[in-house]
Amino acid sequence: MSNQEEYKEDLLSQYITPERIEKAPKGFTSKVMTRIQLETLPSMVAERLWKKNLVPVISAVVVILLIASAFLIPGSQTDSLADPVLSLIKNIKFSMPEINLSSIFRLTLPSVTMYVFIGILILTLFDRALYRIFHREK
Amino acid sequence: MDYKGDIHYIEQILAGNSIAFSHLVDRHKDKAYNLAFRICGNHEEAEELAQDSFLKAYRSLKSFKMKSSFATWLYRIVYNTTISYVRIKKKGVLSLEDFPADATDFIGRNTSEEEAEKEYRSSLVNFALQKINEEERGLISLYYYEEMSTEEISDVTGISKSNIKVKLFRARQKMFEIIEKVEKKKLIYHE
Repeated sequence: MSNQEEYKEDLLSQYITPERIEKAPKGFTSKVMTRIQLETLPSMVAERLWKKNLVPVISAVVVILLIASAFLIPGSQTDSLADPVLSLIKNIKFSMPEINLSSIFRLTLPSVTMYVFIGILILTLFDRALYRIFHREK
Repeated sequence: MDYKGDIHYIEQILAGNSIAFSHLVDRHKDKAYNLAFRICGNHEEAEELAQDSFLKAYRSLKSFKMKSSFATWLYRIVYNTTISYVRIKKKGVLSLEDFPADATDFIGRNTSEEEAEKEYRSSLVNFALQKINEEERGLISLYYYEEMSTEEISDVTGISKSNIKVKLFRARQKMFEIIEKVEKKKLIYHE
């Protein structure tokens, strides 16, 4: 470093004193923290909503899957996985007298009604199971 | 006072305690603000830029590898944020006439002459800083105000050590010339 350059550096050092740094204005930290909290708030709310609605969401997913499978699984195929279960349900003999509702109310219920009832029963059991699991955790 | 290192707070933040970030802000706010101010030359903008930098640091804290110190990493964010801002918002060139010729102009709330002289010198440096480019401003600020070595400045700016020396030399020379011109003007004013 030349003498001239050293002189220039020294001169600049005379003018620049590190202790004269510009200090952050009052309330700077709280402003930053407010901005951080505002930024993280939507994600926290979303997380809370997700946790709160976890059971209904799972139930809804299962309902959608059941409805989808009702449409997608062919009813005529004999090798269908649902076939043995369905035939078992069909073959249940009730000891109670058979009431022919159609003769009283002249109702003709569609064949899918039975599947709906079974679906409701499964969902009820599933819902109770989920309720027990999540409430035991709490 | 119970002093805990930056790493302690970083670990707390990463574990989900966002309030711990306030300790980091408290510790580094003045230097971060000073660096932003020296580069952009405006108090309101410097506050906004320093806040933005802390927010960026908070968002990307997961990517902080802890290879360098938190301060170096934060200064890098402040430096890059401010330089980018200033490059987008280029200001008009200041003329020498924009600077008051006499230290007595700085006597206001500071009654003593000595204080006024200090204020004058500080303002003169700020004025000279605004006359050089934003990159040089950053380097001067890191070197003189933050008292960093060329190696540390290299970590912050990503510029090689040898290049920093060259750029610092040029920046110093430019500032020296500006200060010299103002001081000459001051002498003429007093005659």
